[in-house]
Amino acid sequence: MIVTRSWLSEFVDLEGISDESICDTLNSIGLEVASLKKIIIPEGIVVGKIISCEKHPDADKLNVCEVDIGYGVRQIVCGATNVVDAEYVAVATIGAKLQDGLEIKHTQLRGVDSDGMICSASELGLPKIGEGIMILDASIGELKIGEPLQNYKTINDSIIEVELTPNRGDCLSILGVARDLSAAYNREMKLIDVKLYEHTSRAGISRHATLESEEKFDIELIFALVNIDVLRLPLVIDLRLAFVQEEAKDSITAITLYATLSTGVIIRAYNEGCFAKEDEVAKIKISKNTQELIEVLASGNRCSIVGVNQFEGCAPIVNGEKVFIEASYVSPQNLAQADLSKKDIPTDRYYYNTSRGSNPDVNLGIRYTLKLLEKSSNTEIYDGFLTHEHKRENTIIKVSIAELSRIIGADLEKSNVISILKRLGFDVSISNEDFLAITVPLFRADIVNSQDIAEEILRMIGIDNIEPRALSFVESYHQRANLDEYLAKKSIRYKSVGAGFYETISYMFSERKLLEKYGFETVDANLELLNPIVEELNTLRTTLLINLLLAAKRNANYSKRTIPLFEIGAVFDNKRKQKEKIAFLFSGNSESENITNSGKPKIISAASFIEKLGSAIGIIELAPCSHQNGLIHPYQSADIVIEGKLCGYISKLHLNAQEDFGLKDTFIAELDVNALIKRKKVASAISNFQGVYKDLSVVLAKDIVYSDISAQIDALNLKHLRSFYPIDIYNDSSLKNDRSLTLRMFIQSSEKTLEDNDIEDVVSSILSKLEESFGAKLR
Amino acid sequence: MEDLKKASQLIDQSASTDDLEKARVEIFGKKGLLSKGFVKLKDLQGDEKKVEAQRLNELKDTLTQLFDTRYVEIKNKEIEQKLKEDALDLTLYQNSHQTAALHPVVETMDRIIEYFVSMNFSIETGPLVEDDFHNFEALNLPKNHPARDMQDTFYFADNSLLRTHTSPVQIRKMMSTKPPIRMIAPGVVFRRDYDLTHTPMFHQVEGLVVDVKDKVNFAHLKSILTEFLLEMFGDVKVRFRPSFFPFTEPSSEVDISCIFCKGKGCRVCSNTGWIEILGCGIVDPNVFKSVGYEDVSGYAFGIGIERLAMLIHEIPDLRSLFEGDIRLLEQFR
Repeated sequence: MIVTRSWLSEFVDLEGISDESICDTLNSIGLEVASLKKIIIPEGIVVGKIISCEKHPDADKLNVCEVDIGYGVRQIVCGATNVVDAEYVAVATIGAKLQDGLEIKHTQLRGVDSDGMICSASELGLPKIGEGIMILDASIGELKIGEPLQNYKTINDSIIEVELTPNRGDCLSILGVARDLSAAYNREMKLIDVKLYEHTSRAGISRHATLESEEKFDIELIFALVNIDVLRLPLVIDLRLAFVQEEAKDSITAITLYATLSTGVIIRAYNEGCFAKEDEVAKIKISKNTQELIEVLASGNRCSIVGVNQFEGCAPIVNGEKVFIEASYVSPQNLAQADLSKKDIPTDRYYYNTSRGSNPDVNLGIRYTLKLLEKSSNTEIYDGFLTHEHKRENTIIKVSIAELSRIIGADLEKSNVISILKRLGFDVSISNEDFLAITVPLFRADIVNSQDIAEEILRMIGIDNIEPRALSFVESYHQRANLDEYLAKKSIRYKSVGAGFYETISYMFSERKLLEKYGFETVDANLELLNPIVEELNTLRTTLLINLLLAAKRNANYSKRTIPLFEIGAVFDNKRKQKEKIAFLFSGNSESENITNSGKPKIISAASFIEKLGSAIGIIELAPCSHQNGLIHPYQSADIVIEGKLCGYISKLHLNAQEDFGLKDTFIAELDVNALIKRKKVASAISNFQGVYKDLSVVLAKDIVYSDISAQIDALNLKHLRSFYPIDIYNDSSLKNDRSLTLRMFIQSSEKTLEDNDIEDVVSSILSKLEESFGAKLR
Repeated sequence: MEDLKKASQLIDQSASTDDLEKARVEIFGKKGLLSKGFVKLKDLQGDEKKVEAQRLNELKDTLTQLFDTRYVEIKNKEIEQKLKEDALDLTLYQNSHQTAALHPVVETMDRIIEYFVSMNFSIETGPLVEDDFHNFEALNLPKNHPARDMQDTFYFADNSLLRTHTSPVQIRKMMSTKPPIRMIAPGVVFRRDYDLTHTPMFHQVEGLVVDVKDKVNFAHLKSILTEFLLEMFGDVKVRFRPSFFPFTEPSSEVDISCIFCKGKGCRVCSNTGWIEILGCGIVDPNVFKSVGYEDVSGYAFGIGIERLAMLIHEIPDLRSLFEGDIRLLEQFR
């Protein structure tokens, strides 16, 4: 909603209040100011009166005008065609500097002297209004020849754009905003003059039109009939519509739009032709259509849907014809129930207002419009109105000052509360000592309970004037489960960063085609997104890895040579069940290019990826890979097992995928976050007896997986075997399908110093187990 | 005197600890200079012997001192030499580290969570795929309510939807517990909007406090949020503007004075001097009604995280936050 200061001033006295104060006040009462623009007409522009206007002797398109500028008459050559109709105009006198920097000087145009310039609106820094020069009229204020244009407040206006919240349909009008300002500044509203001139010889409307209705509908409608003779739009209306960025295609629409913006009442005009054939009585009919909306019909033709639109061919066309003026109201609740969004019904400019609550005072609206017409044309207004009324009950809210004070948290004064409410248009009566009975005006359908009333008081007092108070709270035992989970995740995030992975966030969406291509599950069709925003994000993600790979691809395109990323976030399964995962990706160089590696760091390998992963998420076990998808390398991948539970996988990126995403060697891992969170650590006693390291080399078949070997050794449950790990593998052609594996064991007792045979026992038990299970031979 | 001259010469001329060791043997050794002197003592008698003994002892003391001094001197020289040989320009290695960085949005969310946890708020979570009741209906957003316009929603084929705010977590919490409640709900939310300043997914932290009727009021809300904003942004002015949210009444938006221009007006604050940070209000009675609460009072607030992170870290482009762009992320190491 855009308002202007001079327009507001027609409804409320703003004398002596600065524009900045108005903006601050609007902000503090909940009408957020988006912008303030002040129009200032340059110096040296004055009101001039054209005394004569003749064709230029040597130029068809130019006119030579004698213009009275108060302190003399100047000859000015003007190129605008509409100058011939003009009487009062804006004259830039010698020395004036226009908005674009042009300085007005004496000049000759095709041999004729010209001492000044007759200006168009845009040359003065105003929005463009029509074609040619701006013709002044008394609507901007009394026209005094020679008066600087700077002195006209209607032109040197301040334009304020206000962002309204959806509950404030009443402020979609100058009147509504003015009413809020009157309450905020505690100033009287001005009386709106809608008294029409007295005519004794008026013809009655009923001889030209009738209104009938199938039943009493929940709408307000009022029709007036006018006979418009030459309508000249007052400049102030033209200007203000331009200031507030509204456009009207003809003068009558401009008047009804202006009236709608002024009062908030929806005003439309219809040509008589759409209601009646010549000399017939117009039969206007109101009925409900199949979509539960109220229509205005004439001779069976649909003219408009109340509060929604007006059908083409109904708008007035030319001057000098009879025109119906209609003011209407339909409640936003009724419109909402009809739910236009699903019915494909075209809506017009006013639907925004009606859906948020237009002004129900149709009487004010229609009289305001008629008064405008009367002032700006030789309009004949027919006597009387055709009306369809609906009796509306005002909401009455009973509330005590004490309750309002408790909601706000400040001690309110009764007189202040009453004064604020009255200025906002509420009726207040005191039912007993403390209780107020508040009658809510019909234009404030958003006010239904005492908290709404508290809000009205709060915004007028100003939240900034409320003293903050600390809330004392009875401490109770808080469930720590979520906090512990949060802290655990935070710790993993910090460790992952320490291990060199960048934390990333990607959208929780993915491209269905891409998921399918790489063999991931997708959300079942009957659970799928109905209205995705783009194709690349047309389904819920079932893995974090595709998004990480896309991010890696972008980074590779930006010439990043080391790409370490991780993400924690939700993924969904085919039943759309949500699960939290963590995924890691490392692509390209395993470390930065630096002095140690002579700028040639090694490319990431399984060993170094697993090492980094361990730094991030702690001890993990790896087992032969049981997962399958298009990202997994069939020969360099493994399951991740934590505390005996399978919770994810780690893999070198499949060559096909590596090519698709344009990456160098890349490793990926994805696992359940839960598996990382619920880790409980139990300490066992530390032995102070000396331990020994022993190496054991065996030869066994190449295809035997180490995790199977370690499982077998674990199963032996050897008392003195503290730990063991592989330290070397070796194969050459002589070994054929075998390979040599060296294990290092740390052997220690918790009870005594070991003797040789104790150590020998451990080694031989392992060896014989390996012989028995895998056909291993001592090397 | 001859002895002293010869011995001190030996010490002085030693250039290394090895030389010095040789000198030590020659002077103090079993067959050294001093020993020889002491051996000769047995040939002397009476005062002569006494004088000679004293001379030898004094000589020994002098030489020991000379030797020790020289030893320290040479040892230091040698260490210095070794250190020099070991010289390495460590500044060459300053780019060898491997650390990465937290995401600025998550890190900002951490700060918010930490503040409210320290104020004894519990952390609550809820599903991302929600139903109409929890996301709209219970929050006083009945079907066709104009305020639903503000939230363009992703819908699924089975009529469920992606939550448009973290507020449904409030509803779930209230429906599963009795007051008093003091909670925050951090998490991702979704709106069907995608342009320079909107992403289809972003983060919020929701807050809710509920206690008995007449206990919780707007002044309390003002108190905690003002303190929170001062904690986050330091020395700023805080402004409350009345606003509208369907689930709170009265409602307010909260601004801070622009941290870039200190309130003078700049591009970031669109020349207003103020930056909008969060929305809040007193819980609407209809919300309590829909969860079956009676005789309670409460406040709620919601903070958008991306905007905050962008302000704090002066990040120019919202969408870059969701692209895993290392060029952006590495700046937060």
